[in-house]
Amino acid sequence: MTVIESTSQVSAPQTDLPARTAASPGRLALRQFTKSPSGVAGACMLILIILVAVAGPSLYPVDPLDLVGAPFMPPDADAWFGTDYLGRDVLAGLIHGGRATLAVGAVAALITIVIGLVIGAVGGFFGGAIDATMVKITEFFQILPPLLFAMVLVTLFGPKLTTITLAIGGVSWTSVARLTRAEFMRLRDLDFVKASRAAGASNVNLILRVLLPNALPAVIVSATLAIGVAILFEGGLSFLGLGDPNVMSWGLMLGQNRNYILDAWWAVMFPGAAIFLAVLAISLVGDGLNDAINPRLRRRS
Amino acid sequence: MAFATHLARQIINAVALLIAVLVLNFCLIHLAPGDPVQVIAGEMGGASAEVVAALRAKYGLDQSLLQQLSIYLANVAVGDFGYSYYFNQPVLGLILQRLPATLYLTLCALSAALAIGTLLGVVSARRPNGAFSHAVTVVSLAGYAAPIFWTGLMLLLLFGSVWPILPVVGMTDVVNPKHGFAYALDVGRHLVLPSLTLALVFIAQYSRLARVNMIEALSADYVRTARAKGLPEWLVVGKHALRNTLIPIVTVAGHQFGNLFAGAVLVETVFSWPGMGRLVFDSILRRDYPTLMAVLFFSALMVMTANILTDVVYRLVDPRIRTGRR
Amino acid sequence: MSALLEVDDLNVSMRNGSGRLVPVIEHLSFTVAPGQTLALVGESGCGKSMTALALMRLLPEDFVITSGRIVLEGRDVLALPPKEMRSLRGSAMSMIFQEPMTALNPLFTVGDQIGEVLRWHQGLDRAAARSRVIELLRAVQIPAAEQRIDAYPHQLSGGMRQRVMIAMALAGRPKLLIADEPTTALDVTVQAQIFDLLAELQRSTGTAILLITHDLGAVAELADEMLVLYAGRCIEAGASDTIVTAPRHPYTRGLLNCVPHLAIGEPPKPWVDLGEIPGMVPPLGARGADCAFLARCAQACDVCRAKPQPALESIAPDHAVSCWRKTELAA
Repeated sequence: MTVIESTSQVSAPQTDLPARTAASPGRLALRQFTKSPSGVAGACMLILIILVAVAGPSLYPVDPLDLVGAPFMPPDADAWFGTDYLGRDVLAGLIHGGRATLAVGAVAALITIVIGLVIGAVGGFFGGAIDATMVKITEFFQILPPLLFAMVLVTLFGPKLTTITLAIGGVSWTSVARLTRAEFMRLRDLDFVKASRAAGASNVNLILRVLLPNALPAVIVSATLAIGVAILFEGGLSFLGLGDPNVMSWGLMLGQNRNYILDAWWAVMFPGAAIFLAVLAISLVGDGLNDAINPRLRRRS
Repeated sequence: MAFATHLARQIINAVALLIAVLVLNFCLIHLAPGDPVQVIAGEMGGASAEVVAALRAKYGLDQSLLQQLSIYLANVAVGDFGYSYYFNQPVLGLILQRLPATLYLTLCALSAALAIGTLLGVVSARRPNGAFSHAVTVVSLAGYAAPIFWTGLMLLLLFGSVWPILPVVGMTDVVNPKHGFAYALDVGRHLVLPSLTLALVFIAQYSRLARVNMIEALSADYVRTARAKGLPEWLVVGKHALRNTLIPIVTVAGHQFGNLFAGAVLVETVFSWPGMGRLVFDSILRRDYPTLMAVLFFSALMVMTANILTDVVYRLVDPRIRTGRR
Repeated sequence: MSALLEVDDLNVSMRNGSGRLVPVIEHLSFTVAPGQTLALVGESGCGKSMTALALMRLLPEDFVITSGRIVLEGRDVLALPPKEMRSLRGSAMSMIFQEPMTALNPLFTVGDQIGEVLRWHQGLDRAAARSRVIELLRAVQIPAAEQRIDAYPHQLSGGMRQRVMIAMALAGRPKLLIADEPTTALDVTVQAQIFDLLAELQRSTGTAILLITHDLGAVAELADEMLVLYAGRCIEAGASDTIVTAPRHPYTRGLLNCVPHLAIGEPPKPWVDLGEIPGMVPPLGARGADCAFLARCAQACDVCRAKPQPALESIAPDHAVSCWRKTELAA
């Protein structure tokens, strides 16, 4: 232990802060975040990736589904990243595919977080039979391997971008729900919540205005990581042939080219590397946020 | 005594959840676009009019949904998970036939991940700010972010064409079939790359977990007590700190069997490993729904089993749970 | 009689975030005679526990002994190679910690944790160690020792756990027992029992005790000598009877004023004005050359403000104090 006796009292009462002051801990966390070199590096990487996905298609207007040359053309001056098994431009795929992949990741993660927050908040706030029901639902989803469940859903309902997004978002919310529930149960009995209740706040008000802002710091990290998981899931589904064939995405490139890996390694390696970098950037940001938001987990220097 | 009651309650809970999975399967079949009979037959099953009529009769598709559900559950109760028209055999047999290969792969990957992950975490915890520790952190971040199928494909590329010292396809040497000990050795060689690929993700997680828990354990009062007793460092770390480090890792590992299995589906597809994962891929490709549904059920069954086993192990290792807090 | 433990000009520092060394303990010297009890007294953050850990060479990673000598039975503790140091810990000197709950490993039985000392230092086999552990548990007055030996720490009460810690510390038949606030975490009624037990065990085993405490009542009862630490510096030392009855340093007086005095047969006064010392111990890194207590001292005068921390000087054969106004304050 390097902690000296006198410093141990500093961090404890933080969580008792009422919701109104939530803005200043947020700014504090941001300042703390900028001190973590890996978190900042991740954020820069992520911003770069998003920029490419947003602005790239207009700067490099090659249709990723068009056949632009001979199949299996290795990277050279004409096509920097080569062509795939059909003769489509790999660079165009990387730039345009990023849009779909990141969009699926973000929207699916949003669905994950919303479902997780609702289930966790309702269970943790009301307790009793409602909580027991929510816990059972969570437990049920926990025993189904998320990726496998998503595969079954997409197979049944067809590989369209919306189905894929909904399937990914609908299967992997259990950890967010458990975290939210735990936070709500902890916060529920704190004095400032009791005070708001005594002041006549309605349940909806209590949940949305009092408890949620205070529970968010604990949830925000797993929410960030959920985007990474969703991107990996999109890749996994596409890899198994469950990608939307009409929308180019990194996963689809991988899935369609993987049988020709010995003929054109570049058509497999680059999209995979793109997924890898995106997920890496997101988990770096997640780590940085974690260190900034949860001070007790902060590494001792 | 209390333990037996607890176990019984858990098993009852598990059975209830598994029945719920079956109900979910049933609902999915009926919610899916198209005629349920087409789903049951499998789109690529080439179901003839005769077969369709037989299926309608068997599953009572002209009766009420509730009756259909009870027929479905009754079938499952006697081990009838339907018939795969693509593989041309009952689904149950198909799954039982593929189960061992998947268990080899997952258990091998799991033990490798536990051993390597714990070792890396423990060693890096000894010097949390040292170069080795930072290297482990970087590797674990990378291992977490790398898509498992991509890692697999890159290893396949490496060992398939660049540096062909390990087999990259299948579970056995088909050209020169081996027997006896040589057979086991052959399977072992084929197992290296798939299980390593699968293990990587979990090595990343467990090394992180082990590192954090080991750092915490090493700064715990009881470790200081052990040192104050004059115990040698290997005993302090290997007994007092390690046992406390392992408990959370084993718990997490046990509760991750679902992710392990899902990872196996991808890895088996990459390396053509003849297990349930490969079966999933084939049945997705052929729209062989009965098989896919049954695999979902069996994966839930395996997850439940893993959860209960983990709970038992946890109770054995941690006396605070075993004897109850006072 | 030669000293069992001799600490000579011990200095301990902490490496802070920027790598600078910040003094934690400065110029500490004392001796402990065999079979005697020396008490280290002071508020939290005065370096008492760090002194104990320095003696055991178990200081946390960021703390370093910058100079000084620690001699136990004629052996220079600081010069010992790690292996010999380990064989000293738990046998020649052992330690009891403040928190018996966290100081015991929750995953092993108390029998196993005490037996470890015997198996490792004395080479006893399992059976011999077990019967010896039962003897030790009886010695620390744990009832039903044969059953309790297989108990896990969480199954015992706080007092029982501390008894287990004491049994563990005594298992190696130490010459010196360091007790770091052994009763702070316990109920008041149990505190007295533990102190009585320590006194009794000292009589039967002849071990010397270095008692770290802020319970001045216990000091008066148990300790032969005492040492008052303030901000890592020894400011008063001597026979405990003398200091408790006639403290000289303003800080020691303040400490003693904080202890309520109840007399039997006398009705308690309706309002007991317990003294308190305003202010706090200066934090690490904020300790200059002048008297560390200066900022809180009600008796400080110009001399105190002008000069650095005075040396510890004898004012009687068994009483030394570090104060510029030691003679003026005698009255």
